[in-house]
Amino acid sequence: MKVSYYPGCTLKDKTTNLDDSTKAAAEALDIDMVELPEWTCCGATHPLTEEKIINLVPQIRILSNVRTEGNDSVTTTCAFCYNTLKRANKAVIDDPIKRQRMNAFLKDDKRIPEYDKETVYDFKEYNGETKVVHFLEILRDTIGFETLSNRVTKKLEGLKVAPYYGCQLLRPPEEVDLDDPENPSILEDFLRSLGCEVVNFPFKSECCGSYLSLSAPDAATRASHTILRSALKNGAEAVTLSCPLCYYNMDKRQDNILKLYADFSTVPVFFFTQLLALALGVDESVMGWNKHHIDPTPLLKEKGFLS
Amino acid sequence: MRAVISTRQVRSEFVARVQDLSGQDLLGCYQCGKCSAGCPMTEEMDIIPSQVIRLSQLGQEEDVLNCKTIWLCATCYQCGTRCPKGIDFSKIAEALRYLGMGKEKEVCGPNHIPTEIIAEAPQQALVSTFRKQGL
Repeated sequence: MKVSYYPGCTLKDKTTNLDDSTKAAAEALDIDMVELPEWTCCGATHPLTEEKIINLVPQIRILSNVRTEGNDSVTTTCAFCYNTLKRANKAVIDDPIKRQRMNAFLKDDKRIPEYDKETVYDFKEYNGETKVVHFLEILRDTIGFETLSNRVTKKLEGLKVAPYYGCQLLRPPEEVDLDDPENPSILEDFLRSLGCEVVNFPFKSECCGSYLSLSAPDAATRASHTILRSALKNGAEAVTLSCPLCYYNMDKRQDNILKLYADFSTVPVFFFTQLLALALGVDESVMGWNKHHIDPTPLLKEKGFLS
Repeated sequence: MRAVISTRQVRSEFVARVQDLSGQDLLGCYQCGKCSAGCPMTEEMDIIPSQVIRLSQLGQEEDVLNCKTIWLCATCYQCGTRCPKGIDFSKIAEALRYLGMGKEKEVCGPNHIPTEIIAEAPQQALVSTFRKQGL
């Protein structure tokens, strides 16, 4: 399948391990995934008031550029990017006034002539044609978890992993529509196809504190602790997720958790694409284990997945 | 909490403004409390989300614009997902932050975030936080 790839800002700096492992896994699975040649920030949060129409422009520009590249769908692994792109697209499809105003902005888009003399900017109205798919959706709907399971070269047998969804992947369900918002199963099915043992725990879709970790760090520490403690109590040896911000709250924040909760024991956190790349036997240089705050390599060595 | 409720406040422009900005049926809320029950941040809040809605319905502008609650919303959308009336509290909180902004209040702007956190935080968190402040 041919699909455009939108990595998003965090993947190019703080979590290059998510970017690298996604690209390597896609290559191993023969997905024709090409990064958009030009992209901007997606805006990170969907505009929540009716007046903030300008905050929809970056998403719509990205989606319109996907079409310019000749593709009809775009994929991303960051839960925030997925949420904003998908919701902005739905806003344009559902609301004729927003659609009209977005197109008025796109029409004014011009390449900067000093840098780009040759390109003639050809305006084409955007009416929500681009499909936004999370990388997990490609694995589930295009490849299929059964096929994936057959393509795995190194089964991660005996690794007990707690799947963590967080908020942006699932909610609001009528706009995001990836899985059931209260009882999702896509990460569980994914983990089983890699051979992992799935750890069920009640806080898999509870918020980790999100970007409150900047303005109210203690609230994020408490929220992350609630989630990790529950995962550990249910027997998890590791946690997996897809959002770079959840990763920051769950991985880096374990230092703060240890200061507040003495009985807490640390647990490694993986991006789902790292486990995927590991199971597909991809070269280890893409994993970026050194980027992790809680080093996952001792666990992987103990299980025999790393030498 | 002692509150003076007058018809002037209940019928004030404030109630209509919150409804317009948020696009939510503020007066449709019948106080079941599901939003507060599911909210992961109530522990840190001074008043809970359903109370913010009730006070807004009654035009208690001062109380809701000055509460901590609207700044502690992490926009996880748990409240709106579970609301039987389809009201998204995160949108009401955003409308209230927006209405209070003229008061030059900076709760989560660049000056309020410790520099060591700015250095290590993911970019998406910085963008989201500054957007919350209306930057």
